[in-house]
Amino acid sequence: MITDILFNLVSYRIDEEPHIRVDQAKCASCANRACTFACPARCYEWNQGRGQLDFAHEACLECGTCLLVCEAGAVTWHYPRGGCGVRYRLT
Amino acid sequence: MKAPEPRARSAPFDAVVVGAGPAGASAALCMAQRGASVLLLERGATAGSKSMFGGMLPYCPAAERLVPGFWDEAPWERHVVRRSLSLIGEGTSTTMSFEADSFDSPPYAGVTVFRPLFDRWLAEQACKAGATLLTGVVARELLKDQADRVVGVVVDGPQGQIRAPVVIACDGVLSFLAEQAGLRRAFNTSQMALGVKALFHVGEREINRRFDLVRRQGTTWEFLGVTEGVRGGGFLYTQLETVSAGLVLHLDSLQSRGLAPYEILERFLARPLVAGLLRGARLVEYSAHLLPEGGVQMVPRLSRAGLMIAGDAAALCYTNGLIQEGMNLAMTSGLLAGETALEALGTNDTGGDSLASYDDRLKESFVLRDMATYGRAPEMMRNERLYSVYPTLVGQILQRMYASDGNPRPSVRAIARQELKGQGSLPRLARDLWEGVRAI
Ligand SMILES: Cc1cc2nc3c(=O)[nH]c(=O)nc-3n(C[C@H](O)[C@H](O)[C@H](O)COP(=O)(O)OP(=O)(O)OC[C@H]3O[C@@H](n4cnc5c(N)ncnc54)[C@H](O)[C@@H]3O)c2cc1C
Ligand code: SF4
Ligand code: SF4
Repeated sequence: MITDILFNLVSYRIDEEPHIRVDQAKCASCANRACTFACPARCYEWNQGRGQLDFAHEACLECGTCLLVCEAGAVTWHYPRGGCGVRYRLT
Repeated sequence: MKAPEPRARSAPFDAVVVGAGPAGASAALCMAQRGASVLLLERGATAGSKSMFGGMLPYCPAAERLVPGFWDEAPWERHVVRRSLSLIGEGTSTTMSFEADSFDSPPYAGVTVFRPLFDRWLAEQACKAGATLLTGVVARELLKDQADRVVGVVVDGPQGQIRAPVVIACDGVLSFLAEQAGLRRAFNTSQMALGVKALFHVGEREINRRFDLVRRQGTTWEFLGVTEGVRGGGFLYTQLETVSAGLVLHLDSLQSRGLAPYEILERFLARPLVAGLLRGARLVEYSAHLLPEGGVQMVPRLSRAGLMIAGDAAALCYTNGLIQEGMNLAMTSGLLAGETALEALGTNDTGGDSLASYDDRLKESFVLRDMATYGRAPEMMRNERLYSVYPTLVGQILQRMYASDGNPRPSVRAIARQELKGQGSLPRLARDLWEGVRAI
């Protein structure tokens, strides 16, 4: 799948500091967990075993989809620090 | 229009433009050309490094006004001579292609571009004209005075607060600045679409062979019926050596269907028609971006004291099912915002309603006129039957017309009537058709 080879396809300058934060307390009771399928970079995954949402910001394409589809308002979303994040070459 | 008077320099710049996309670079270029001092801020490491689109830049008069000889100078890939639309039904595909001789000679009706290269080039033109470009800088907030007038921006890093009598927010579809200014309304998933795209290296000669093109001719190809019940469509665009293959998906529909965009994309790429065109091609990049799809109803007020918004930040982007307009509107609105700023600076008044003439300029221009003309398109595009029922229906009717099974053929009208019955009510089809015609 494309999302499995994202780091070979897309250039990033990764900021250690995540630019997106998720309020886990809200995810526990979330009905459709839209972030887990709608994110085009598959940054969100529901961890059944631990009963929590796993989120990794590194592959983020900064599209804003998660901010819009999360109806619980669990997503706090900022642009990464200047010059950081995704760097498209051609697209 | 005269250049602004040299002012008492309480602020180092006449204007701060946020975002070096087509809207922001056009605003900065326009102002710098007439002697204003402009700061252009871009959060990416280079202008264009955060940009993604389908991609075709349609013929854009604003571009020629900004850069004489634009079509010779700008880095574009192929000029588009053919526009195709395929309706993919269950087991059928119906393709319409439109070509015009005039598409094959300048001024071209449309050219394909790579945004990271195009946006960087356009921002360079602004710099050549005298604008200052700062990349790798995020504008986080608007600076306001006690009278609630916008007087600058707050950025990360050592610059801190940057003051200017005019701020032009060209910060794209998510425009947090327009939101802070009370201009952009809250996000609504039913007014947004997500675009995902895979870029394939196919090679110049192979593209020409597979798409039946010569020289630097290019093609655009839209697909309906490939988005698995999600409202949206697929696209292919040819660049010189590469092919862009992607999807645009209505966000509310994606949300309720529970499908992953990259999975729908991979199944789109695996369809025989698409797979054949991309055979042996190397996947070189993947990208995603939102686009405003709410039409003219989504467009907010465009100015307030000290501030104007342009391009996607102002939701100036639309589709009517056949055409996708975004860059042209971004460049035109950027240019008009720049002109309004120059005029206001010339009279030394950028507060109060002095920038409100920007709203009027846009209303008089083709930008908001076209968006009003296609004002019903967003509603039409929300009709689920467009994406599943009708592509299949068209295929079924044509299949029965073309096929022969040894029995006497019914008339075309009889076939159509039978197939339509199978799809539910005729009045509904009539209504959909009427809505479609009214929308465009
Ligand atoms: C999938 C898809 C397909 C499309 N296809 C087409 C097409 O074929 N033809 C067409 O004409 N249009 C198309 N569009 C629309 C087109 O891309 C947009 O309308 C156009 O890019 C808008 O230009 P803009 O300058 O307003 O915004 P953008 O191009 O988004 O530029 C905004 C810039 O601002 C920067 N920025 C944002 N916030 C900040 C901040 N706070 N501080 C500093 N910098 C900031 C960003 O990094 C970016 O460089 C498509 C869009 C998508 C998503
Ligand atoms: S949609 Fe929002 S609340 Fe639900 S799992 Fe995702 S982040 Fe959590
Ligand atoms: S901004 Fe887009 S790519 Fe980044 S985590 Fe959210 S949905 Fe995924």
